[in-house]
Amino acid sequence: MLDVGPIALAIAWVLAIYAIVMSLVGALRQQRDFITSAEHAALAVWGLTVIAVADLLLALVTHDFNIEYVAHYSSSTLPLNYTVAALWGGQAGSLLFWLLILTSMTAIVVMQNRYKNRELMPYVNATLMLTALFFLSMLLFVTPPFERLAFTPGEGQDLNPLLQNYWMTIHPPALYTGFVGCSIPFAFGMAALATGRLDDVWIRTTRRWTLLAWFFLSLGNLFGAEWAYRVLGWGGYWAWDPVENAAFMPWLTCTAFLHSVMIQEKKNMLKVWNMVLVILTFLLTIFGTFLTRSGVISSVHSFTQSGLGPFFIGFLGIMATMAIGLLVWRLPQLKSENELDSILSREATFLLNNLILVGIAFAVFWGTIFPVISEAVRGIKITVGPPFFNRVNAPLGLILLFLTGVGPVIAWRRASASSLKRSFLWPTVLGVGGGFAMILAGIGHYYAVLSFSICIFVGATIAAEFYRGVRARQAMIGENVFAALAHLMGKNRRRYGGYVVHIGIVMMYLAITGTSAFRVEQLNTVSPGESFDVGNYKLRYDKVEAWENEHAAHMAANIAVLKDGKQIDTLKPEKRFYKKPEQPTTEVAIRSTFGTDLYLVLGSYDDATKKATIQAYINPLVGFLGWGGIVLAIGTFITIWPARTPHPAAAYAPSRGERMASE
Amino acid sequence: MSRSVALRYRTLFLALLFAVGLGGMVAADEKEAVSFQDIEESLTCQCGCGLTVHSCNHLQCGSALPLRDEIREQMSQGKDKLAILAHFSEKYGEKILSAPTTTGFNLIAWVTPFLLVALGGVVVAFTLMRWRAATKPAAAPSLEVAGHAGPKSQHEQTLERDLKNFDA
Repeated sequence: MLDVGPIALAIAWVLAIYAIVMSLVGALRQQRDFITSAEHAALAVWGLTVIAVADLLLALVTHDFNIEYVAHYSSSTLPLNYTVAALWGGQAGSLLFWLLILTSMTAIVVMQNRYKNRELMPYVNATLMLTALFFLSMLLFVTPPFERLAFTPGEGQDLNPLLQNYWMTIHPPALYTGFVGCSIPFAFGMAALATGRLDDVWIRTTRRWTLLAWFFLSLGNLFGAEWAYRVLGWGGYWAWDPVENAAFMPWLTCTAFLHSVMIQEKKNMLKVWNMVLVILTFLLTIFGTFLTRSGVISSVHSFTQSGLGPFFIGFLGIMATMAIGLLVWRLPQLKSENELDSILSREATFLLNNLILVGIAFAVFWGTIFPVISEAVRGIKITVGPPFFNRVNAPLGLILLFLTGVGPVIAWRRASASSLKRSFLWPTVLGVGGGFAMILAGIGHYYAVLSFSICIFVGATIAAEFYRGVRARQAMIGENVFAALAHLMGKNRRRYGGYVVHIGIVMMYLAITGTSAFRVEQLNTVSPGESFDVGNYKLRYDKVEAWENEHAAHMAANIAVLKDGKQIDTLKPEKRFYKKPEQPTTEVAIRSTFGTDLYLVLGSYDDATKKATIQAYINPLVGFLGWGGIVLAIGTFITIWPARTPHPAAAYAPSRGERMASE
Repeated sequence: MSRSVALRYRTLFLALLFAVGLGGMVAADEKEAVSFQDIEESLTCQCGCGLTVHSCNHLQCGSALPLRDEIREQMSQGKDKLAILAHFSEKYGEKILSAPTTTGFNLIAWVTPFLLVALGGVVVAFTLMRWRAATKPAAAPSLEVAGHAGPKSQHEQTLERDLKNFDA
């Protein structure tokens, strides 16, 4: 049987090298045909990767268990959606999937820039192909996805049961898209350094790419949190696991970049800092992948651990050396004419916002690697878990939340006393008043009061911005409220989309604060017919149902949910005992009401006494995490949606006539 | 003392105050009353789940269940949180604690992030002052973002200008 996949990967490997060499030679010798040929090679690498992915998918769907990967990560009874998800459920497949996203994005970049950014493109292409070459090398020489077994097993070992979940079918693709998306601004940044075109062309060209990468990083983190919440069954959604941290760190630095880049666009400042952030974000995506794959730090994501760590560290070293070398080389040309009219300005606030975001990223990085440092220095293993991350990041997170309210509203250059009063007086009154009201209402958790107060402040500043804008349009044009709001946002998508994103972030803070400060828990072992109280609910354990199918044995407790003496629901938390591989999993039962969840876990069941141990949680405001995510997505779409007017970057692209003249 | 030097000292003082304030917020948690859940959350389950003893929900977990019994036993002896955690650390090694201790080498884990943010704050402050010093008194008016700066027509002009300028 002809193995199309490995052949496609082998040809892609050769073409990736060709693309790198031809791009660089073409750029250095100014040979346009070399550069074009390299771009065609990049497109071919994408096509060949599509063929390899299609081949592996076909093997998975047709249950070709002679291929080790298929035998290891799927079975003939695995539902189709999880069979497809098995593509990224194992080591080799996930690297192939990563390569698919990377080469697809490269192809789009090549097509987008056929007639513009021609000076930058060879270096962009070379950087992206270098990254692709690394993944291709892994797939060909270290962890090949098409390795065949000496025999064909009658059945596959199946996908890890923890991954057989809806959220796990979308969490890795979203996160990988975010990770890979960060390669595009990085590649343009490297190209800007290599060519010396250090104006803001590379930034304007990659603005939407950066937003897209940030958006998918956000979604990836949120989907992962949702998966943990629904599958791991410990009542929470974020455990500061090293791999969660690995996905969170580039999000933080990417967020910092999205803000600081505005200062470069607006005032041509912070050129070095923006380069540092784009490099740091890219390197953190590779570091995150290293953490996931190396097993150097223990993590719940052990299903993807392997001996790939040294290769990733090597690649990380190469890319870091290249990036830092280029940056140092170009430092003299990166000096900006920095001007600041006042400390009370948006520029200063954004700098502070960057400091806190990078500070949190460092705190997360530091906490993640500190066990390794401790072991190296003292020879003693220690754990750095949630208490450390919560205590260190909570105060920094609250400062960041406060800046979310101040940053977008305070004026560029200089904020006058009157404008500060106008923008912040009522939000401050509302925030402080709300805080006092909470204290008077008996809320004694000072972190929560502070957080909710700042949420009110930020919400009020954003609401006031919308109000003022709508009122101005109504007064000027005579539009009704809805038309004024739509036009206001339509004509200023970036600004108002940003406000909407900030509303989403505030909603997430509400969820984080609610669940951190006010979670209620009850662990009870009860007999059939017995009840216990949790929050405002009375829970009555009725019975346990058991059934079995080809995949797993199921055991579900029937819990009647009563409120004010009336039964309002029946929840069925479940334990599953998967057959291949033999592994128990938790299926939680959730009743959501106005963002607050009643969350039930079946802890254990004694068949002899019929007693069940039920873990019950009330998670206040947890629903705001998902809703915040939806609002964040809406805000990002508003921001990213193309404007009708030509994009400013187009001004830098030569016209067709100019191009022909230069040729 | 020149004005700029005084300003630098003031900035340094504010940055240190900021760091101390943050440190104080962190330390404040230590003073919370001891509770069973508090101890559970201060210990890491050794079954490999990576969660705290409180969060581990593995069926009949061979680590979390005995550890919970041991916490109860320790609490019944009237020990405070530090004494109970010292007992677990001595018996199982430091890795059982879910966060580094705040003594010796481990103190570096706690201090470094705040120190770095404080140092970053000083750098940002000096950077801003340097930029400010390099800026000639601006003749250009500030770009007010929004709001009722005065008469309605002036506000409308400001808004119009801002809408044009902000999101080209």
